[in-house]
Amino acid sequence: MDDLIETRSVRTDFSGILVKIVGYVFIGLFSLCCLLPFLLVLGTSFTSEDAIKRFGFNFWPREFSAFSYKIVFENPDLIIGSYLVTMGITVVGTAVGLFLVAMTGYALQRPDFEYRNKISFFIYFTTLFTGGLVPFYLLVTQYLHLKDNYLAVLLPGLISPFLIIMMKSFVRSIPHAITESAKIDGAGDFTIFIKLILPMTTPALATIGLFIALGYWNEWYNSMLFLSPDMKYRPLQLFLYNVITSADFVRNSAAASNVELRDVPLESMKMATAIVATGPVILFYPFVQRYFIKGITVGAVKG
Amino acid sequence: MKTKWGKASIVLLVSVMVFILSACGGSNEGKETGKSTPGTAPGSGPDTSKFVKISYLVLGDKPKNGQFEKVLAEVNKFMKEKINAELEWKWIEWADWQTKYNLALASGEPIDLITIGTDWLDTWGNAQRGAFMNLDELLPKYAPETWKSIPEEDWKESRYNGKIVLIPENDYTQWVNHGFFYRGDWAKEAGLTEPIKDWEGIETYLQYIKDHKPGVIPWDAASGTQTWGGFIQSYTDQLELPISTGFLPVFTAKSYDEKFTVTSPVFEDVFVKYATMMKKWADQGFWREDALNNKNNNRDALKAGLSGLDQHHTQTFSGLRVEMDKLQPGSELQMFPFSRTRGTNLMELSITHGGTSVGAHSKNPERALMAYDLIRNNEEIYHLINYGIEGVQYEVKDGKRVQPEGFKDAEHGYYSDFWGGRVDKFEIPSANSWDQIEETLYAEYDKIKKPYVYGQFVFDKTPVEAELTAISQVTGELGPAIVLGKAGDPAQAVEEFRDKLKQAGYDKVLAELQKQLDAYKTQLGE
Repeated sequence: MDDLIETRSVRTDFSGILVKIVGYVFIGLFSLCCLLPFLLVLGTSFTSEDAIKRFGFNFWPREFSAFSYKIVFENPDLIIGSYLVTMGITVVGTAVGLFLVAMTGYALQRPDFEYRNKISFFIYFTTLFTGGLVPFYLLVTQYLHLKDNYLAVLLPGLISPFLIIMMKSFVRSIPHAITESAKIDGAGDFTIFIKLILPMTTPALATIGLFIALGYWNEWYNSMLFLSPDMKYRPLQLFLYNVITSADFVRNSAAASNVELRDVPLESMKMATAIVATGPVILFYPFVQRYFIKGITVGAVKG
Repeated sequence: MKTKWGKASIVLLVSVMVFILSACGGSNEGKETGKSTPGTAPGSGPDTSKFVKISYLVLGDKPKNGQFEKVLAEVNKFMKEKINAELEWKWIEWADWQTKYNLALASGEPIDLITIGTDWLDTWGNAQRGAFMNLDELLPKYAPETWKSIPEEDWKESRYNGKIVLIPENDYTQWVNHGFFYRGDWAKEAGLTEPIKDWEGIETYLQYIKDHKPGVIPWDAASGTQTWGGFIQSYTDQLELPISTGFLPVFTAKSYDEKFTVTSPVFEDVFVKYATMMKKWADQGFWREDALNNKNNNRDALKAGLSGLDQHHTQTFSGLRVEMDKLQPGSELQMFPFSRTRGTNLMELSITHGGTSVGAHSKNPERALMAYDLIRNNEEIYHLINYGIEGVQYEVKDGKRVQPEGFKDAEHGYYSDFWGGRVDKFEIPSANSWDQIEETLYAEYDKIKKPYVYGQFVFDKTPVEAELTAISQVTGELGPAIVLGKAGDPAQAVEEFRDKLKQAGYDKVLAELQKQLDAYKTQLGE
């Protein structure tokens, strides 16, 4: 890394500048591509439904309206509750999941673990097929009795073969010599894992943690299957999904219903839910990002 | 009228019913009162000494304002007193409801009562998988009133392999036949003083709007608009069959008299006639140039006075008329049901479109049926379940159901999504449905209606799965442009459409369909 930086600073000639310009322009454009749709969503979410119908989607609301947010937050108690549920599941799930994945990944690559290949294959093997929806549903509801239990959402997301394989290959880049030297100094396996391996794998942990966290944050399918409306607070994504579907139905049924007619702002509401759902996730990235850079193993073994 | 319409009408029908207790007013004005409750006094009837909870699975989003619980508590007072049981409403929310509904049945959970629908909830498929309890023995004993009130020919429709597996919603009027909705005031201005009865009349009407109403799109048709099914109904005696071929229906039954004979409307002249007419309508500018990509909501445009035509079923019309009277006073919205043109082609909705079954793993099927018998035959309980508490959720004024003073939807709104055995005799018409629907459209329908004949026919598509998929692709690819007249020369477009259908294996599916209809005919013993 150091070498790289040095060569760069030496060769600040024309081609270097050109590379920089191209780089900045390219990255700038790329960020715009990511940012603009989001701004469009944001702008639309604050536009009155009427203006959306007449002028289409706009970056800047032609007719400002926060009505869709009002509907989304109609039951503040419910939405806060579902936020807390999702956050709780995400935090607990990420912490536990990360720990399990990291441990498995580490154990599976240690050369002194005799059955590592067989077990790795066994884990990999499960990615090739699934049991199918009905058996899965039966397992969770009839055998584990986890219907209407947050564990039904938490457990399936904890460990995934893909992440284990990823972790395994990352830990492999840490020389086994470190483990051995710690052993000589009298450290137990668990101490080695906690004190040495984990700190050295922070970039991997950050990446994998992000995967797990996003998985939990966006999770709605298992919640949809296993958490019935009898539960008051259900994960955010399911809650928002239901807000949209029921708005759809209100709109379509309004014609023949006994319900007081109100113009449900469907388009802007979709956008508002998107904002509500993504908002906190955006904060994840800068927070986690610094770990990507930190904790590089270079220099751990000298000589 | 099946395929896209079938799906759309199912989805819409379901939606129409979501926040409502009853979509349409009952057709019987007179109410029968003073019905005695079933003989369930201890000692004389079934053993009800042990208190049980009865679950009822319904489709819909659970109401959040707490009103439902209050109403159910009232219902349960009756339930406790009469049959020593308590009802529990279990909701299957709309998010991926098909999966959840089928999983609930497949999982072996003890379900007591469950909403069914042979045309939209795969009831025969689930019956085949043994999801429902056989009710032949139980019904006369535990649901005697229901048992007596449903005639034998309707029970016949409720059997799978000779066993009764469901209780049909056979006594509830719902019309979901499609038609065009047009504005009576503009039609009058256009010189159409008689109710419109054919597509030519609609054409005159649209042309008038085009010429005389600047700023109004005669019909702001959106992408996905499909009127071919309606055209068949208007200009032939052919019946739609419960088989999905994607965007357009391409198989029908020849006529009511020859209901087991498959025919091919798209290979007949009527399809060329249709394509030509739609091309003409498109060329006249009755809808937007980019109608194929138009995502606007035509109904909203109609309500805003920006569109002159809509297309949907009678139930929708009934509510829309009232709404239009408010939003566009004097608009006199009218419906031209497609069946009016020839006055022959109209089938009722399947009586097993709604209904109730008992789950195969129910622990208390006896009490479940007793509870059902009460819901369906006790007027007080029926009104509680369907409308809520009188004075809170509704009031009866001049024989119509209105919202009481100070009613706020967020606070007092109520629905139970009970679609498993509504009966006309207990229905109180809502002030939100058009009060003349009965003497106008219903009366017109009653003259020509015929019972639904495919209630128990389930097309097994496994032998022709690939061909059906190919056909659906063809209809989805070429259909929309033909329907909205954007396919160039109509005769040529139709020719191409037919060629591609042939290539997709049209004849094979036709033969298979005919084979299965023949078998169905034998099964019915006709």
